[in-house]
Amino acid sequence: MNDDYLWDKSGPPDPEIKQLEEILGTLRYQPKPFEVPAPRRRSYFPLLAIAATLLIALLAGGIWLRVRTRDQVPQQQAAVPEKTPIIAPAVEEKTTPTPKPQKRLAPREQNVVVYHKRRNTPPALTQLDREEALAVKQQLMFALRLASEKLNLAHRKTQSMSPANQIKNQHRVG
Amino acid sequence: MKSIFHINIIRTPLIALLVIIGTGFMARAQDSRIQLTSLDHLAAKANQTVDVAIDERLIRIAAKVFSDEKTDEKEIKQLLTGLKGIYVKSFEFENDGQYSPADVEVIRAQLRGPGWTRLVNVTSKKEGSVEVYLLMNGEQIGGLAVLAAEDRELTVVNIVGPVDLEKLAKLEGKFGVPDLEIETPKTKKNDDK
Repeated sequence: MNDDYLWDKSGPPDPEIKQLEEILGTLRYQPKPFEVPAPRRRSYFPLLAIAATLLIALLAGGIWLRVRTRDQVPQQQAAVPEKTPIIAPAVEEKTTPTPKPQKRLAPREQNVVVYHKRRNTPPALTQLDREEALAVKQQLMFALRLASEKLNLAHRKTQSMSPANQIKNQHRVG
Repeated sequence: MKSIFHINIIRTPLIALLVIIGTGFMARAQDSRIQLTSLDHLAAKANQTVDVAIDERLIRIAAKVFSDEKTDEKEIKQLLTGLKGIYVKSFEFENDGQYSPADVEVIRAQLRGPGWTRLVNVTSKKEGSVEVYLLMNGEQIGGLAVLAAEDRELTVVNIVGPVDLEKLAKLEGKFGVPDLEIETPKTKKNDDK
């Protein structure tokens, strides 16, 4: 057998080698021109997903806060300043023209105001609101007293059952 | 690889969203009050029934008519600050055994839920049982429940929101309600001063 074909491709090739050459020949290096890969399009999907999540969370938070604060709005409306200025009638008298030139009053004296100090209940409560509030107050007081009574009952029972307390009582009696 | 990458990208915000929503629901669940409607049928058997249900809105309305100048009312007003509800159901019966242990168990089962801690449990054959539960939101008290089951009386008190136990306990004896006189001698001395 002549191995020259394997060495420098001279001489008759062996049929098996020729067959192998044909099979493997498809995989041989094929020169191709160098191509610069096109810039890959950036995917904005993750950013969009995160933004959507934050938006939904913010929206949910907003709705939750709105629902929570809805009940607080009437309380804010009811907050009336304690001192309500009422212009005293004396000021009006001064504005009417008088023949005699009056002594010019200092700005503080001109703006005479009377303050009504409001006490106990905010004035924003209407009669109906006040009646409702008083009714609720009574129920509230009753509920709190009952809660207090039961708490104290539990406390008393615990105290009477604890051995430490028994010792204390014995000491106190002795 | 690309699909796995995309799945991870979707999964992360989804998990974040679920955590946010879940936290919100949990916070709300911690706020929730005990359902007392299961006791409603006892009203027909009871001699006397007390049913008080005051939500946050009503507490705010009532708080407006509490005086800031009277010490007692001021204390109650302070106690009401932050409360989200007060619910009471109390039944007094003429005879023993008008309510079943199952009625009490329905309430007790709710108080075994997450966040609730049993503070006191006193049981006696003669006087029945008194249980005090606290709902803890971290280190703060988020609510209170008292379950008092006596032979002829069943009372459930549920206060939702941060409650000052000391102030609440002091309320007894005020506003014409007889004091049980359980205060310690020390406090009495202080009061005298």
